[in-house]
Amino acid sequence: MTRDTRTSTETAPEQRTDAGRYLPADAIPETAPSRETEWRTRLTEAVPTLPRLLKYVLAIGVALLWIVPFLGLFMASVRPLSEILQGWWNVERMTFTLENYRQAWSYSTAPMGRALLNTFVVTVPSVLVVLLLGAMAAYPFARFEFPLKTALFFLILLVMAAPPELVAMGNYNTLRNIGLFDSYMGLVLVHVGWGLGWVVLFLRNYLLGIPEELEEAARIDGASRYQIFRTIILPLSAPALVSVAVIQFTWVWNAFFFPLVFMRSPDLYLAPQVLPLMRGRLQVQWGLVAAGSVMTLAVPVILFMLLERYYKRGMVAAVTD
Amino acid sequence: MTAISMEGVSKYFDAGNTVANYRLDLEVADGEFVVLLGPSGCGKTTALRLIAGLERPSEGAIYFDGERVDDRSPSDRNVAMVFQNYALYPHMTVAGNIEYPLKVRGIPPDDRDDRLEEVTRLLHIEDQVGKSPAELSGGQRQRVALARAIVRQPSVFLLDEPLSNLDAKLRQEMRSELKRLQNELAITTVYVTHNQEEAMAMADTVVVMNRGTIRQIAPPGELYDRPRTGWVARFIGSPPMNLMDGTRRNGSVDLAEAGTVRFPGAPGNGDGTVSLGVRPEDLSVSAEPPPAGNAIEGVVDTVEPMGEYVLVNVTVGGRVVSAKVADTDLEREDRVFLTFEDDDAYLYDENGELIAPT
Repeated sequence: MTRDTRTSTETAPEQRTDAGRYLPADAIPETAPSRETEWRTRLTEAVPTLPRLLKYVLAIGVALLWIVPFLGLFMASVRPLSEILQGWWNVERMTFTLENYRQAWSYSTAPMGRALLNTFVVTVPSVLVVLLLGAMAAYPFARFEFPLKTALFFLILLVMAAPPELVAMGNYNTLRNIGLFDSYMGLVLVHVGWGLGWVVLFLRNYLLGIPEELEEAARIDGASRYQIFRTIILPLSAPALVSVAVIQFTWVWNAFFFPLVFMRSPDLYLAPQVLPLMRGRLQVQWGLVAAGSVMTLAVPVILFMLLERYYKRGMVAAVTD
Repeated sequence: MTAISMEGVSKYFDAGNTVANYRLDLEVADGEFVVLLGPSGCGKTTALRLIAGLERPSEGAIYFDGERVDDRSPSDRNVAMVFQNYALYPHMTVAGNIEYPLKVRGIPPDDRDDRLEEVTRLLHIEDQVGKSPAELSGGQRQRVALARAIVRQPSVFLLDEPLSNLDAKLRQEMRSELKRLQNELAITTVYVTHNQEEAMAMADTVVVMNRGTIRQIAPPGELYDRPRTGWVARFIGSPPMNLMDGTRRNGSVDLAEAGTVRFPGAPGNGDGTVSLGVRPEDLSVSAEPPPAGNAIEGVVDTVEPMGEYVLVNVTVGGRVVSAKVADTDLEREDRVFLTFEDDDAYLYDENGELIAPT
């Protein structure tokens, strides 16, 4: 029985067909009715119980433990050496200066500015090549049937299990023999090979979560395998690709061991290699080291923040699938 | 416009350990609406995927208009398919989804726009073209999937349980709309469903499948009037036909404690185990034994008032027999007699094959 709401409210309850037993349609509010409570009750409801309070204290304590070193690093980078030597936590008579940054940027033996540029030159291709090759290798592992599929996949996983020191020895000799030692090309190749293992695993897991029906629909729609990869698979794996890019970027950017082994010429040194050189001769230049460190770690941190909402989705999907 | 023909098509999975389809023989005429009907796991979806070209037959041959197509890719066969969960591309807009088949075929943008406009008008989704699939309701997604399928004017239209994700009201609406669309476009259509009501309502021909094979191919009316086997009889109708086990002796069927039913018309005089079938809508229930004619005795188990009719479930010799009646005062535990006309009874032999009516 439908009647418009106006009639139902204007009619006296006893005259309506349902004898006023049900709420008229216009008596249902759009939003939940506000709860009228005193501030006192609301306050007591908001105060945590003792066990909960202890958990909060513990959590906040651990969080502080993590933050304090970073805080110290930052403070050291913006104060003159004399103040740092009295402890960075002494905040009375604090002088704020960017002098450390200026000096580190153009430090005589190994200027940070050049080192950062070098690191970019190595990191960007290492990330892009891994992305492209990783996606192209992961797709067949996720979708096709071919001989030795399991064995080959296991082989790729083995790369992840090997320690970098082990890989470094073999690669050192290889790069020497083919003349790529002490060149960015050689270093990029090592990073790409080293990164491919986990990238293929990660992307394969993500691709397995993309419904196969989408690809079947595309096949029926007339798309070729390559068209499916380019127009369906790649756009849909954007979150995973961003995650891979961010993680691989951070890994390559911060890598110390591989550049240490494979880069010999000081001109070609990367940022993590340059940092230990800033200690100075007579006295450790804490301010310079701190400023250099902040500049080095700022790049991946900024990248993380910019791409946060993309890679978060990628991680969640890769784990749940 | 295409006629499809399957000849002895079998499909095995897991290196032969799973038989998905076994020796399917099926002829679909040009422009015909064929429904593959069967319970889940009966191989109807695999049969559809074989026609689509998403699977290759392990044995047998598939022909489109007399040309063998087993080795051809789905796009070469020019089939269009609507999937159960629609399989819309989530990263494209509605327009992007519908235009995708045209785009990958290299059709120029102007033509694409014309076709898009035409097909969205046909399916009443002109207002949705800019949205992403996630913003659409189930019914709208369904329409987009249909639009994507018909936009490139396929020669065969394949639908895999397209209505099963919709609510009851919308399902009914889309059912008649699909039928209207198929009549207008006259595209050869193969439709897969486990819902016999849907199959009966839409099909020119229903193909009943079970355990990977075809049990019966018939138009809906014939399927209802003459189910070829006891299994088909139990699958068609809501609720389906009642089948009661008995022994055939001298032109009558002995149903043990439920009584004896005369069955003079049946051919042959073979005695043996048989099943007597009567549809619920052909049974009447009364508390008094009828003066003449056949009657089965039982006890009322439950009474289901459906509004339009009342379903009386009666326990007869250990199994429940349903009767559809207009109205009743009966209650649980009442002793009743189920009566029916001689013409409304079916007889199946011990292998489930139809004996009578001939």
